[in-house]
Amino acid sequence: MEDRLKELQRQKKLQAWLVAAAIAAFTVWSSVETGFSFSELFKGGSEIFRFIFFDFLPPDFSKVKNLIGPALDTIYISFVAMIVGAFMSMVLAFFAATTTAPSKMIQVVVRAFSSVMRNIPTLIWAILLVFAYGLGTTVGCIALIITSIGTLTRAYAEILEEIDMGQVEAIRATGASYSQVLGQAVMPQFMPGFIGWSLYKLELNIRASTIIGMVGGGGLGYAIQKGIKLFQYQEVSLAIIMVILIVLMTEWTTSKVRERII
Amino acid sequence: MSALLEIRNLKKTYTDGTTALQGVDFKVNRGEFVVIIGSSGAGKSTLLRCINQLVQPSEGAVLFNNVDTTKASSSQVRKLRREVGMIFQSFNLIERVSVLRNVLNGRLGYMNPITGTLGLFSKRDVAEAKKILLRLGLNQQIYKRADELSGGQQQRVGIARALSQQPMLILADEPIASLDPLTSESIMNHLHSICREDGITCIVNLHQVDVAKKYATRIIGIHKGTVAFDGRPDELSEEIIQHIYQK
Ligand SMILES: Nc1ncnc2c1ncn2[C@@H]1O[C@H](COP(=O)(O)OP(=O)(O)OP(=O)(O)O)[C@@H](O)[C@H]1O
Ligand SMILES: [Mg+2]
Repeated sequence: MEDRLKELQRQKKLQAWLVAAAIAAFTVWSSVETGFSFSELFKGGSEIFRFIFFDFLPPDFSKVKNLIGPALDTIYISFVAMIVGAFMSMVLAFFAATTTAPSKMIQVVVRAFSSVMRNIPTLIWAILLVFAYGLGTTVGCIALIITSIGTLTRAYAEILEEIDMGQVEAIRATGASYSQVLGQAVMPQFMPGFIGWSLYKLELNIRASTIIGMVGGGGLGYAIQKGIKLFQYQEVSLAIIMVILIVLMTEWTTSKVRERII
Repeated sequence: MSALLEIRNLKKTYTDGTTALQGVDFKVNRGEFVVIIGSSGAGKSTLLRCINQLVQPSEGAVLFNNVDTTKASSSQVRKLRREVGMIFQSFNLIERVSVLRNVLNGRLGYMNPITGTLGLFSKRDVAEAKKILLRLGLNQQIYKRADELSGGQQQRVGIARALSQQPMLILADEPIASLDPLTSESIMNHLHSICREDGITCIVNLHQVDVAKKYATRIIGIHKGTVAFDGRPDELSEEIIQHIYQK
């Protein structure tokens, strides 16, 4: 027993070293491949510095009026995508979780589907969707819904797989029907994780919606991109400040909500 | 008067090939307080779960009130289950909701699908649940979350949930195995006195032979999936106990 443990520990140590060596090798290799060097980094850095302090600042606060609309769009898109994504994912999750899936077949299909949705980046979805729907908030919203479904279906399914089946058994034993068991034994265990993940997704959506906006998905991202094209840097810097404020506000609100429920 | 429960040639083999029960027969009359003893893995939990169809028996019959539960439709099974309260070793309360709601869950079998799913319990059910909690000495705990309670209190909520079903039979699967000796005694006293006062028949799985002898009107010993002893507590000799607990 002792020997076996020591042997395992030695193996683990060896593995750790191998992984560290692999990471180091990979870092060197990729920096050579990409022509990365510290002097380049420094030169670029000073360029960015100049750009930020002379072109961007000070932000032009008189343009707030123009940006309120796009800012609200960003919030709407992220919020609607989260709500729609959460409800669709919840239904899908019941088919994807081992504990609640009606058949193995359906489970595999739903998992594969959500994996595709999740692993294609939101930005790619947005670019594809611009072809189909043209520029605008619809694109941003659909792109975010798609990735929300991808991420949340898996997260919710994992919550469902971890629920305490003893509680489920106890409710079944009272003579409750399937839907009553879901409502009274599964839901109370599912809710905290459901709300926590949905709020987290809302934060991610707000951040992602800026990027999506830049490829034509509407909202502040679109305003930023337009501003850059027209050299209105001081309006752009205002927009960036607004993005940061929205992100901070969302984080603050979601953390407050989370505290209340957990 | 016919027996409340009759078990005939009950067998259970799980899908992985484990045989848990290999032909169990016995009858239980109204008002009996039956204690089932047997070593770990003997099949006690399986037996109890076959009675309310939480486990589907492989063979044999379970007659509850003259209805064969093994042949009942799923809606009939639900009607049977609501007549049978169940108490668990790990309490199995819904941890995140209040004590009161946990007790109210005992009413689900009597509610329509929609009100049950949404948890819209009637005023009458709420009043009745509060009465039951008062009886178990939990009136201070009504609005607390179930997981804030001590083990002994949680098990009393478990008993209250079973009682709110207004059951004819209570099945208790090692109700005191996770409790200290003093709390165990109080739980057994509650269970025993309530069943006697309300005329509820009770079947309890226990590990402790002395506790079994103290409360049981009848003891059934299970050994490797068969009945090795079935009789009054005073008939249970050291020899028989050794036989039941041998490997
Ligand atoms: N869901 C299951 N799938 C497969 N085998 C099972 C399952 N449940 C129980 N068994 C097996 O059936 C046998 C009887 O188990 P059971 O839980 O009924 O015993 P028990 O008498 O209640 O034991 P304990 O005193 O430890 O609770 C054991 O060998 C067990 O491993
Ligand atoms: Mg058991």
